Amino acid sequence: MSREIAAELERDPVYVVRTAAFDGPIELLLSLAQRAEVDLKAVPLASLTDDYLRAIEQAAPPLDQLAAFLVIGARLVQLKAAGLMPQAAVGEEEDLQAWEDAIKGRLEEYKRFKELAESLMRRHASGRFTFAGLLEPDVIPQARVQVSLDVLASAFRQVLDRLPPVEQVTVEMEHVSLAEKLEELRHMLARQAPVNFSAVFRHARTRLEAVVIFLALLELIRIGEARVAQASAFAEITVHGQERKEAE
Amino acid sequence: MTDGATQVRDTMALASALEAVLFTLNRAVTVLELQDILQSPLPDIEAAAASLAEALTGRGLFLQRHQDQLQLVTDPAQADVVRRVLRPEYPSRLSPAAYETLAIIAYRQPLTRARIEEIRGVNCEAVLESLEEKGLITETGRLDAPGTPRLFGTTMKFLQILGLSSLDELPPLPQSASTSS
Repeated sequence: MSREIAAELERDPVYVVRTAAFDGPIELLLSLAQRAEVDLKAVPLASLTDDYLRAIEQAAPPLDQLAAFLVIGARLVQLKAAGLMPQAAVGEEEDLQAWEDAIKGRLEEYKRFKELAESLMRRHASGRFTFAGLLEPDVIPQARVQVSLDVLASAFRQVLDRLPPVEQVTVEMEHVSLAEKLEELRHMLARQAPVNFSAVFRHARTRLEAVVIFLALLELIRIGEARVAQASAFAEITVHGQERKEAE
Repeated sequence: MTDGATQVRDTMALASALEAVLFTLNRAVTVLELQDILQSPLPDIEAAAASLAEALTGRGLFLQRHQDQLQLVTDPAQADVVRRVLRPEYPSRLSPAAYETLAIIAYRQPLTRARIEEIRGVNCEAVLESLEEKGLITETGRLDAPGTPRLFGTTMKFLQILGLSSLDELPPLPQSASTSS
């Protein structure tokens, strides 16, 4: 091995290192460092590469020489870094092959899990769920709105139907402010949670007011301060206040 | 009557009791709880669970097991008809990243977020948070290491959305070409 290197060096060294700790071809430095026969900690790699950059500015070496320096330089940096790590055992970090194998192994491991992920996805998409009793249909809840929008809309329809019908058309200025309703709802949810959906509209006197309350409820759901849930099919929808999540 | 026959009769009686308990509680119940409820030692509970699972073959109900939890649920083959009587809410699909993360957790549990990220090669914080929110994974403990990182594992609900009777029913982990690290 060292004879091969020596022979090659005589032909054409990639770069000749000149530092206090080591003086000679960079190939030799690497081969000695790999056998721990030279202390890399004493060799300033940063100034070594600075010198090299200056050198190649003057005389542009062929590409393969540049590439060889890069590979050797990278290897030296890796060895030095490994040597600086407190628990890295000598010999372990020197095995580039093992390092490559570890990377390859990780890629293979990932590939296997990717295949499994696809089989899980197909299984999930097939919809062959198991259900845990009527009161707890264990499907993945959608965040915040745990009843479908249709159910929510038809419940609101019922609220509207209970209001007295419009008898005559009187044009009247009515001020129902969304901000006001938001505050009222917040108050209601903070005091007593959960609140039945219909109870939210208990004090609505007109359609407009009910509509604004409904808008306020939707707004609270949107900003995460409320959520609606239904314990089981056909049960009363309940409105729950909740702490606002900043992340969403 | 021989001891063997007595044993079989006892196991069947315990299986019936187990069925009644699981039906009534209608949730995942740990074998530890069941020992207490049924006043029987663990091996008897295990035998009763095996007997009940077998008795339910071909029936509309299904005994599901996630590690030390048991739950009586509907047979995955009946999913369509059950879904029809429930809200017609279609389950949300998960993202490819979520399935990947679920697969890694399902086969390697319990494990830390760092280990998952090592396999996937990307940050997994958001996807773990979302899976946890959906109840598909949960913290199963803490690793005894600096920072005591959280250990993740799958849940009963994970089995439910896949219609699996237990984790053993997951497809086998494909063998790697080279030796695994």
